[in-house]
Amino acid sequence: MGNKMTEGQVVVVTSGKGGVGKTTTVANLSTGLARLGYKVVVMDLDIGLKKLDLIMGLENRVIYDIIQVAEGECTLKQALVKDKRFPDLYMLPAAQTRNKDDIKAEQVQAICDELRPDFDFIFLDCPAGIEQGFRNAIYAADKAIVVTNPEVSAVRDADRIIGILESAQFNDIKLLINRLQPNMVKSGDMLSIEDLMEHLCIDLLGVVPEDKSVVISTNRGEPIVLSENAPAAQAFSNIVRRLVGEEVELMPMEDDSFWSKLKRNLFSRK
Amino acid sequence: MLEFLKKLYSREENSSREQANDRLRVVLTHDRLGASSQLMETIKEEILEVIAKHMDVEGTPEVNLITEGRHSALDISIPLKGR
Repeated sequence: MGNKMTEGQVVVVTSGKGGVGKTTTVANLSTGLARLGYKVVVMDLDIGLKKLDLIMGLENRVIYDIIQVAEGECTLKQALVKDKRFPDLYMLPAAQTRNKDDIKAEQVQAICDELRPDFDFIFLDCPAGIEQGFRNAIYAADKAIVVTNPEVSAVRDADRIIGILESAQFNDIKLLINRLQPNMVKSGDMLSIEDLMEHLCIDLLGVVPEDKSVVISTNRGEPIVLSENAPAAQAFSNIVRRLVGEEVELMPMEDDSFWSKLKRNLFSRK
Repeated sequence: MLEFLKKLYSREENSSREQANDRLRVVLTHDRLGASSQLMETIKEEILEVIAKHMDVEGTPEVNLITEGRHSALDISIPLKGR
């Protein structure tokens, strides 16, 4: 298939706490990679509470789900939903009326192994929590992206997740900080990037600023990474480029007032 | 102007950001060890008890939890009385 050189890598996106932006991250990183021409598949492992289909705007195309694949009711190919925008982006939906225990970690791994030869990236959208659904997701993965928000409970849960991943022998764990508000950090009312790095002690993959346009793009079912000029779109694009090995500096996280721009120009020459 | 000064001041020690950092430091250390602060206190007391049973302790012993990266160590310093 195409210009694919090596076996695909399986990346789990996880967080412990719910609502920090795991699904949004999966949708945007996969869409961004597909835009660059990579072959990508995303798997919704939040059985019983599916959302990836909605976030990606593919809810009307879903026919089969991952449990039906695992139980042999349909083939993997039949269940894969093709993206609207990119020909090499696919989604494997979760089942909405089943439980986390209806699929075993080995079955998830078998599906990943079947997909590896045909895709560059296989993203696993992990459910919140540290129960069976989470165990299923990390069992099959080679790498992990831990998503967190600059907020005490999200950081505590992220730390717990990192601990579990380390005991499971993961050696590629990266941090994605979502919904950072630079103005609040500046005024001393939000944890900074440096604070989070100090607490969690893992490599930083990227930082996505708080951006109202994410709400709008979610309403429309279009990943924000595709919209122009939105700060979150820029941030996700940068992260995508880092995922494929490019070195991309963190985008300036200052607010964009006249004074901060001036200060940045005057004092930040390296 | 007053607002501005207030803001400048709040950036110092008592900002909510610093409070969050302090609270996280404590809670993460205990989470990682699977130990509550109460348990840490008990451990300290018992260690000192054992040492004091066999040797003469002089001055104030210090028991600190030190953290480096994601790892923690119990740093114990107990001054002993010579004969």
